[in-house]
Parts: sequence; C-alpha cells; structure tokens
Amino acid sequence: MSAMTRQGVAKLLARQGILVAFVLFMVVFAIANQRFLAIDNISGVIRSSAILGVMALGVTFVVIGGNLDLSVGSMMSFSTIVVLDLHDKLGPTLAIPAMFGLTLLLGAFIGVLVGYLKLNSLIVTLGMLSAIHGLTLTWSGGKNMDIADKEATWFSVFGQGDIVGIPVPILIFALLAGALSLVLGRTPFGRKVYAVGGNGVAATFSGVPRARVVFFTYLISAFCVATAGLIQASRSLGSQNTVGQGMELEVLAAVILGGASLLGGSGTVFKTVIGVLILGFIQNGLLLVGLEFYAQYIVTWIIIILAVWLDIAAKRGRLWSSIA
Amino acid sequence: MKRTIKAMLACSAAMLGTAAAAETMTIGITQNNVGVDSYQTTYEKAFIEAADANPDVEAVVLDAGGDVARQIAQIEDLIQQEVDAIIIWPTNGEAVIPAVRKAKQAGIPVVITNSNIAEQGFDFVSSFSGPDNITQGARAAEIMCDKFKEMGTDTEAQIVQISGQPGYTTAIERAKGFEDRLPEVCPDVTLLESQPGDWNREKSQQVMEAFLVKYDDIDGVYAGDDNMGVGALNAAKAAGRAGDIIFVGATNFSVGYEAMEAGEYWGSIYQSPVDDAKAALQTAIDILGGKELPFLNYFDTPKITQDNMAEFDKPVF
Repeated sequence: MSAMTRQGVAKLLARQGILVAFVLFMVVFAIANQRFLAIDNISGVIRSSAILGVMALGVTFVVIGGNLDLSVGSMMSFSTIVVLDLHDKLGPTLAIPAMFGLTLLLGAFIGVLVGYLKLNSLIVTLGMLSAIHGLTLTWSGGKNMDIADKEATWFSVFGQGDIVGIPVPILIFALLAGALSLVLGRTPFGRKVYAVGGNGVAATFSGVPRARVVFFTYLISAFCVATAGLIQASRSLGSQNTVGQGMELEVLAAVILGGASLLGGSGTVFKTVIGVLILGFIQNGLLLVGLEFYAQYIVTWIIIILAVWLDIAAKRGRLWSSIA
Repeated sequence: MKRTIKAMLACSAAMLGTAAAAETMTIGITQNNVGVDSYQTTYEKAFIEAADANPDVEAVVLDAGGDVARQIAQIEDLIQQEVDAIIIWPTNGEAVIPAVRKAKQAGIPVVITNSNIAEQGFDFVSSFSGPDNITQGARAAEIMCDKFKEMGTDTEAQIVQISGQPGYTTAIERAKGFEDRLPEVCPDVTLLESQPGDWNREKSQQVMEAFLVKYDDIDGVYAGDDNMGVGALNAAKAAGRAGDIIFVGATNFSVGYEAMEAGEYWGSIYQSPVDDAKAALQTAIDILGGKELPFLNYFDTPKITQDNMAEFDKPVF
C-alpha cells in the first residue's frame, strides 16, 4: 500500500470511525442471519428507531452546547399522553398544536433555568425527569390513555402511514435530521452553539449571547421530543404513562456513540443519526440471532463500548493512549 | 386471640346497632405505586369503596409510590398507630421482610396482596391474597390449545411468546405456567422462541416485528399481558399477517377486550383489580374474625375469549 492511500484510509478512519464501525456490525449481523438485510427488516428497524432518533437530534444540540438533557424520556411520555387525551377532547387538529405548545413550555422552563439562571443542567433535568413524570400522572390520573375510535381517525398517519412506500416516521426523522443538520452546520446560530459548548467564557467575551443560545437548544430539544411523542402516540393510538421511561439514557448513548463530546463543542447531526441506527440495528440483530435475553443486555453494551473505542482509536491513530 | 375477641365484640356491637368507632376494625394498607398504571389506580378506588361500604371497617390507605424505604416507614407508622391488621402490596419482595417481621412481633397480622413477598418472609405473614399467575399462564395455554384443536391445527402449530419484564416474579410465573401446561394439553405445538416485551406495548411491537422477519410461519402469540399482546397484534397487522395468528394474553386489559370485540384477538385471562382489592380486604377481615384461611388465598381469574366475553364487563384499565 502506498503512503498516499494509507494516509487516505487513516484520514477516513479518523473522520468517520463510527461509520466504519457501523458498516462492520452490519456485515457481521448479515452473515449471522441472512434476513437481517431484508428490506422489510431494515425499514422496520429504522421506523422503530425513528422515535429515539428524533429525540436524539434535539439532545445533540443540547450536548454540543455543553449541557445535558435527562428529562427527554419523561417529557416524551408527557407529550404522548397529552396528545392522546386531547385527541378525543379537542380533535386531532387542535390536539397536536396544543401538545406542541405545552411541551415547548416545558422546554422553555428548562431553558430559563439552565440558560439564564445558569443552574447545573444535570441537576435541573434530573429534577425535571421526576417532575414531568408526576405531571403526566396527574394529567392522566394514572390511567392508560387510549383513543376511543381507533379506526376513524387520520391521526394514525404519523406513526403508521407511508408515503410512496416509505413509512412516515422515517420521513419525519429524515426531514428533521436534514433541517437540523443545516441549522447546526450552516447558520450563525449553529456556530454559536459550538462556540458556547466549546468554551462558554470565550464565547461570552466574543459577544455570543450564551444564555439565549442555551435556551434555544432546550427549545429545539423539546420540539424534537414533542415530535417523537406525536409519532409514538400515533403508532399505537394508546399509551402507558411510562412509555418514555429510561429513554433518556438510550438517547444520550446514541448521541455520545455518534461522537458528540459530553464536554460540549463537538458532534454533528449526521453522526448522531449513525449512533441511533447502530443502537437500533444492534437490538434487532441480537433478536434475530436469537440470543438469550439476559445476554442481550451484556452484548449490547459491549458492542457500544467497542464502537466508541474504535472511534477514538481511529481518531488518535492507535489503539492505546500513548500517555498512560 | 385478643384480636379475635375484639372482632367478635365489633360484630356483636354492630348487631346491637350501637357500633362505636372504637369497636371497629382498623385496617391499614400500604400500596406499591398508585397512579403508575390503571390497575393500581382502580385497585385503590375499589379498596376504599369496599372499606367505606363496610361499617365495621376503618381503613388507613397509604401508598409507597414505588419506594421501598417509604413503604417500610409506612409499615412502621401503621405499627405505631396500633392498627388491627396491615395489608401490604410489596414494592420489593425482599426488602420489606424486616418490617413485616416487626408487625408480626407487635402482634399485628399481615396480609400480602397482589404480589407475594420472598419465601423467607412467609413465617411473618398471615395470608397472601392475590391472583395465581401460574394458573393464569396455564389457563392461557389451554385457551390457545383449545383454539388450535377447534381449527384442527394442533398437530403442527408454531407459536412465539412475549413475556413480561425479566426478573419479575409475575413475568416468570406467567411464562412458567404457560410453558409447563402447553405440552400437557397440546404436545405437538412448538414454542419457537420467547423474548421479553417488558410489559410495554411499543417494545412488544418491536419484538414481534423481529419474530415476523425471522419466522415465516407463526400460528400463535402468547403475551404476558394484553398490552404486549396488542403490541404484537399491531406488528402483525402492519405486516399483513394478523389473520393467520391466534393472539392470547395472560391478563385482560381494555385494549385487549376491544381487540377481541373487533375479532382480531382471541382470548385472555380476566383479572379484576376490583376483585383483587375486595379479596385483600376480605382476607384481612376473615383473619381478624378468626377464620381458617389457606396461606395462599387466591381469587379466581377466569378465562375470557371471543366466545364468552359478553359475560364480562370491559376492564377499566
């Protein structure tokens, strides 16, 4: 191999290590079970990953901005329960904007606490995780929420419909990913998010309105959560109060797996999408292989850690850190 | 013995029509997590109604909110208040045992409701009142088998199982009851694979999607409850294969009942939170009245299918 191509490969690995890891896993699973790559299966996995994926898009902004959002799981439960409840009370045309409004209000509240009051985002969103769960239970009275007439409503289109053969959740995920990728990569606001997360103090001295930028990252996160809630509600037309429980960690795992730094300042929407797909395909692949369930927990996380390692190893060009 | 006398006094006082507040039975209950699901919410409502309807009973109704530490504190409070009996819906089958032991030492009978505590705590408990999850699983197997026999496919049918949250007694028992009973009644039916759906409709839908990709021929799905069963049904409907599959659950939920009405879901086991709550209260009253009860005091959970569903009200949860 000539020095040129070797350098080229190294460069590709360094920039797209996680993508290489992703392709590697796909090949291994495809060999283990030939049905893994069936169109039905792939579209099924992406469709069910779409809910997690949409949430991860928003959290990508928050994490790049140097903060955490642990409230997204219980906020998604809230959105789902609220839109299902209002569906039968107000009709879907009013229920959807009302639910978005209420969810954005929650996001704005967190944004004020973390952005303007400069409170620690871990504490704020951990607290909101519980508080919003309580809010959801209060709203529903603890009961499962179901749409009364499941056949008559057009509301099911967001979760179950398809346009030119592509499931709508995948379309929503793709469109939102495209739009947010542009916002993050091509607008002044996007650059400010990187600046605030990379070095908040320097950003402030350069005239970047840190508080306002952080506030908007939480608003974007809440918007994504509301969209995820809409897909979730529409997909099953009924829900338990705990539907999003625990998803905050999976979302965070997908974002970090995509290569966003927990310290802020780095990451891209595209890489988060890859992180989401890796999580989705690992779970589906292990199911298809028919691995004993308890082992699935272990294997899932071994693969995730392997992927993160591969990514980091590719970036520094060697497997081990030279500084012990 | 003292309790018995007190209860008898309460009875005679009631008969004389001069029931004084001091002569009534005070029964305290600490529940697992009211409000987290409709079953527990309905249970609490039914318990309070049943207690209100009985003039001899005064109920102290508490909820641990899913928190073991809070539940232990509540049990200690009830001991301090010198209630006549304590009903516990354990948040955790192991961690509550020391508190149960304290109640026993204070001479207060304890009834465990809905989900039993671990075996090493049995000595401190007067009775367990609740559903028999093993029977529920076994009966679900019978429902499934009878349907295959009726269709004439019991010699070749292949099924999959979607079980509850791994590690939970209820999930394990409902799976075990089913797995043990199925080969007895339908020896030629094959259980292809079991995977957990975590009591979650969305998760179950994902699991079923994978099953549908993996197996070309699925004739039946057994789910640990109807929430997961309906998730599996949704997946099969999306794949256009629901018509070929018999769906059976182990606890009937309103979504399952509706799917049965629509003719898409075959059957389940009817477990009423109202019966559950009433049975727990009655068990406590019977113990205070000195009645002999079996240690495992199960209430009946009958089979429900499309054929006999008219006899049952739609579940409230």
